[in-house]
Amino acid sequence: MKQNISVLMDGELFEDEAESLLGHIKRNSDARMNWEIYHLIGDVLRQPEYVHRGLSRKVRERMQDEPVVLAPRGREVKQQIRTIALSAAASLAAIGVVAWMSLQISPELSPRLAMQQAALQPASVPINADANDYLMAHQELSPNADMNGGASYIRTVSYSLDAAP
Amino acid sequence: MTDRDLDQQLVERVQRGDKHAFDLLVTKYQRKLGRLISRFVRDPAEAEDVTQDAFIKAYRALPGFRGESAFYTWLYRIGINTAKNHLLANKRRAPTSTPFDAEDSESFEDASLLREVNTPENELMSKQVVGVVQSSLQQLPEDLRSALTLREIEGLSYEEIAIVMDCPIGTVRSRIFRAREAVAENLRPLLETSKGKRW
Repeated sequence: MKQNISVLMDGELFEDEAESLLGHIKRNSDARMNWEIYHLIGDVLRQPEYVHRGLSRKVRERMQDEPVVLAPRGREVKQQIRTIALSAAASLAAIGVVAWMSLQISPELSPRLAMQQAALQPASVPINADANDYLMAHQELSPNADMNGGASYIRTVSYSLDAAP
Repeated sequence: MTDRDLDQQLVERVQRGDKHAFDLLVTKYQRKLGRLISRFVRDPAEAEDVTQDAFIKAYRALPGFRGESAFYTWLYRIGINTAKNHLLANKRRAPTSTPFDAEDSESFEDASLLREVNTPENELMSKQVVGVVQSSLQQLPEDLRSALTLREIEGLSYEEIAIVMDCPIGTVRSRIFRAREAVAENLRPLLETSKGKRW
């Protein structure tokens, strides 16, 4: 166990072993004492001019008055949430694009179309029968055949069946 | 697992409500942070208080620590800010002749700029501890002393030490532990005389 503490403080223990050992150190005062002494040795070797005693004890005493802190989520959970949030944002963006495309047609143009339809209501306006061929021939070239943003080009026309050949 | 991973593991334990994990972090960083703060706050007793304050502030702020930087960098930044605020509250200026930041503090080795911040009542004890550690180190067999020195002073990983000493990593692990334990054996009687005043 002591050797594992030595390895742990050097950051050379596997994560699952470390988790288990940290739990042991938490419960065992001797293990905690070894943790402290091993760190003291290292500190003395590195900086013998600064060997300060009792600080951790005093912090420990003050910590007794401190409430337990709780982070709402761990790092992994946050990562998952971040992934989900990014997916949701991408979905919303896609929906936004579709909505924007549909708005090209609907909100502003609807009244105009309605007015145009109202204006075109008198479909009984006599059309020159000679124009039927022209209209039929140019229907395929009309922009209203396009799916994308074609609404602004929509015009309602009619021709007389009686005049069809 | 690296040293930084270990810190992160301890931090996550604290974030789950484990106060004892923070105690382990305090034990690990108390002298490093204390030495850093003593460069700002010259009075030893004040420096100790500021160091305690910095740890308490760090504990309160830990729920917001997301591990984007190393824990010690984050802690040192809190320490520096706490020291500066302390000086500001007392209308004193931080020393400007030793510019550094939290990132540099880990490698700061200029002993001439460091000050002895032990209070008089601890000074004798501190000297004894240093004496025991150093004499114990000298008494160690060469391979144990080299392994411990390479780890603690040079900061080499086990793998690097294994290459330097031309031995398996398992041997490095064993040598470092045996060296520590040999020194600790000599230290324990001294520390136990302080009756509850743990280091």
